[in-house]
Amino acid sequence: MDKKEKSDELFIAHKELAFQSQEKGKRAAELVIANEELFFQKEEKGKRAAELIVANKELVLQKEEKKKRAAELIASNKEVDELEKRVKERTEDLESFSYSVSHDLRTPLRAINGYAKILGEDYGAVLDDEGKRVLGEVTSNAKKMGVLIDDLLTFSRLGRKGITKSCVDMNNLVETVLSEINQSTTHNAEIKFSNLLPAVADYNLLQPVITNLLLNAIKYSSKKEKPQIEIKSERKKGALIYSISDNGVGFDMQYVDKLFGVFQRLHSDEEFSGTGVGLAIVQRIIHKHDGKVWAEGKEGQGATFFFSLPIIDKIELEKTTNFNYPNNGK
Amino acid sequence: MENETFEILLIEDNMNDAELAIRALRKGNINNTLIHLKNGAKALEFLFGTGNFEGRDIRKKPKLILLDLKMPKVDGLEVLTQIKANELTKAIPVVVLTSSKEHPDIERAYSLGANSYIVKPVEFDEFTKVVTDLGFYWLLKNQPPV
Repeated sequence: MDKKEKSDELFIAHKELAFQSQEKGKRAAELVIANEELFFQKEEKGKRAAELIVANKELVLQKEEKKKRAAELIASNKEVDELEKRVKERTEDLESFSYSVSHDLRTPLRAINGYAKILGEDYGAVLDDEGKRVLGEVTSNAKKMGVLIDDLLTFSRLGRKGITKSCVDMNNLVETVLSEINQSTTHNAEIKFSNLLPAVADYNLLQPVITNLLLNAIKYSSKKEKPQIEIKSERKKGALIYSISDNGVGFDMQYVDKLFGVFQRLHSDEEFSGTGVGLAIVQRIIHKHDGKVWAEGKEGQGATFFFSLPIIDKIELEKTTNFNYPNNGK
Repeated sequence: MENETFEILLIEDNMNDAELAIRALRKGNINNTLIHLKNGAKALEFLFGTGNFEGRDIRKKPKLILLDLKMPKVDGLEVLTQIKANELTKAIPVVVLTSSKEHPDIERAYSLGANSYIVKPVEFDEFTKVVTDLGFYWLLKNQPPV
């Protein structure tokens, strides 16, 4: 090969080399970028892994929390069961207690009353007037205690009794109560009522309400020359309101809160006899019906007792169980 | 005891109540012969001729049994169950006496075949009236079972 040929060849090779070198440089730069990318991805992965670990820990925690909650729920469920059991036991205790009260207290009372009566009947001749009076006190107090026990029992029984609502013809109810009252007590009160609105309530529970309120009105107006009692009803603000007013001794409004308490009385037994349970019974029954009781009065100028009952429409009523419409087809 | 005739059997553990019941019956002119037994066990022995009453002529039956519910050991309901379960005694009218209308056993007494029940009132006059009405009804008005 001659010199010129060689030089040409070298030149080409040199160019080639330069080109390759350039190419290598490019590749190297690309590699650097790729490397950087890889590094970045690795970091990202590391981050993700860390995040995953955290998330995993969170999950474990949540799982534990759930377990705890479940355990707590089971525990509180048990507590509810326990409470229910205790309530049931208490109720049973109360029932057997009221039975004992009613039975065991009445038995000696019956003996006191009975033997006092025998003493009066068989030995009345040897007792002077004072002796007879004292004996009378024994008998009447024994009797009073009997009434007291019965009233208390009625009151406590009301707490346990469920209510069965039906449509109650109030005119009818008042008439029934009045005829019962007229049989057992003598009074000269003029009692007025007409067109009373029907109520949706438990008939058997409304009866003692009306009886108590009417007997009270009769009692506290009995010292008037012309005792007058009036029963009225009206619809007001979505409720039925019934009122029983009398022209009797009335009461001071500052004691109005005491009227409905058990054993609370505004009069001495000498003035007007009573056990102080009647209005408490009324209140308990009306509260059971989601109604209210209240009273207005003035000393010496009569009193009015009110009770309200929610208005229940027919459709709503039919949803409640135990409902029976009275047979009106007579 | 064997030849004694009697018409009312009073089963009552409380001596006061028994005395008052007997007096009330007398006061109401119910002068029928009466036997008072103080507990349920004795009453059953008497009716069925066992124990202390071994050999009693059990065909001699009361026209009326007045039965207190609350008695120690053999209570009124147990006595009632046995009376009503036995052919010999099941037709005898049994009137259950209880101290209160709160008595949870009143319904059971009826389902066991009690003919009537009365709540002994605190008032003696009332008690006399109730016992008298009762004796009058079951001893005079009511046609006794043959």
